[in-house]
Amino acid sequence: MIADMREALETVLGSISEPVLLPGGASKEAWAVDADGERLLVRRAGGGVIHRHTLSLRHEFEVLTAAHEARVKVPRPVAYIEDLDGREAFVMERLEGETIGRRIVRMDPVPDRLPVQMAEELAKIHALPQERLPFLEDASIDRLVVELDEVGEPHPAIELGLWWLRENRPPRREPVVVHGDFRIGNLVVDESGLVGVLDWEFAHLDDPVRDLAFGVVRAWRFGADTLRLGGIGAVEPYLERYNELTGFDVGLEELDYWEVAGNVGWAIGCLTQAQRHLTGRDRSVELAILGRLGAEVEYEICHLLERQGVS
Amino acid sequence: MSERPTADELAEAIEEFLAGEILPTLDDHRARFRMLVALNALGIVRRELAKLPPEDDAAQREVAARIRTGDVPAGTLARVKADVTARLQIDSPRYLDRY
Repeated sequence: MIADMREALETVLGSISEPVLLPGGASKEAWAVDADGERLLVRRAGGGVIHRHTLSLRHEFEVLTAAHEARVKVPRPVAYIEDLDGREAFVMERLEGETIGRRIVRMDPVPDRLPVQMAEELAKIHALPQERLPFLEDASIDRLVVELDEVGEPHPAIELGLWWLRENRPPRREPVVVHGDFRIGNLVVDESGLVGVLDWEFAHLDDPVRDLAFGVVRAWRFGADTLRLGGIGAVEPYLERYNELTGFDVGLEELDYWEVAGNVGWAIGCLTQAQRHLTGRDRSVELAILGRLGAEVEYEICHLLERQGVS
Repeated sequence: MSERPTADELAEAIEEFLAGEILPTLDDHRARFRMLVALNALGIVRRELAKLPPEDDAAQREVAARIRTGDVPAGTLARVKADVTARLQIDSPRYLDRY
């Protein structure tokens, strides 16, 4: 199989090194190859789909290309391949740096410009022209209710989160192109700071502050809980730089709202991931246990609502 | 309180992983033998779990449905949080130290 894939890749890239399958990637394969001295990464479809609303690899490649043209820090897109040994795939630059969240929050020191750099990339992403990416879906948090109902299990803590979100919705902002999963764990970081933004499969059109707040969700602080922005820094410089670049006036209160939304979304995400295992689509202990670890996220929802004065 | 995966569904996932992914990679005959014994033990656990009565989630369903309609009297969050805490004491007890 590797030989077939190598041959197919060589028709596009010329002579390459032996492809090496990288660990991780629940729904897609990642292969490292070198071509002509250049470090490349092949992202190839896996067995199942991670989520109903994820982009196809073709569309993900188009978003990556648009981001690259807009000078967002991303791996340089190289080629889309419709049929790579039976599955779709694309090739991009393989950036050097750390992506594992747990290791990033333990960097000594964490690059102090990282929060500001995150804000800078997000501001560029939110300015991407929507007409360039006509396939992006409009998504709102109302979709979360539908996803929860599809799981079919009772989760009062998630219901409370959804109730609070309905009751406290801030004035609507015009939807922009959002990354959809902008957080530590999906960023390449080295000692100089942010090297690149990865994993564009959740890109869609949405309220920009929802995207801005996702990186604040406790699950993505990787144990460094006191640093609210992804376990790597304070949220204020991030917010301030984002407002400066976009001309928005996002305050902490609005960020708090979307932090709850981010947690509710991830709590439901844990359940839908477990469903992949339970329904037999993708049998895996890693997916199964998420059904139980979602209790952590539900606890955080309760904690956040308490701080909002709910009793 | 009822949760998915259930204890048996978790044990089943472990069984599939050990039998399907780990056992075939074991070359050492002693390790292989002990893995087969472990799988046998896991089978006992599963059969025992299968005899337990299914958990009743009617109360949780009712609370969830009431919150959905906007009926959230004072004290609701405290009760829900106590339930989540009880689940965490099984699912991820050390997580509670983070607060």
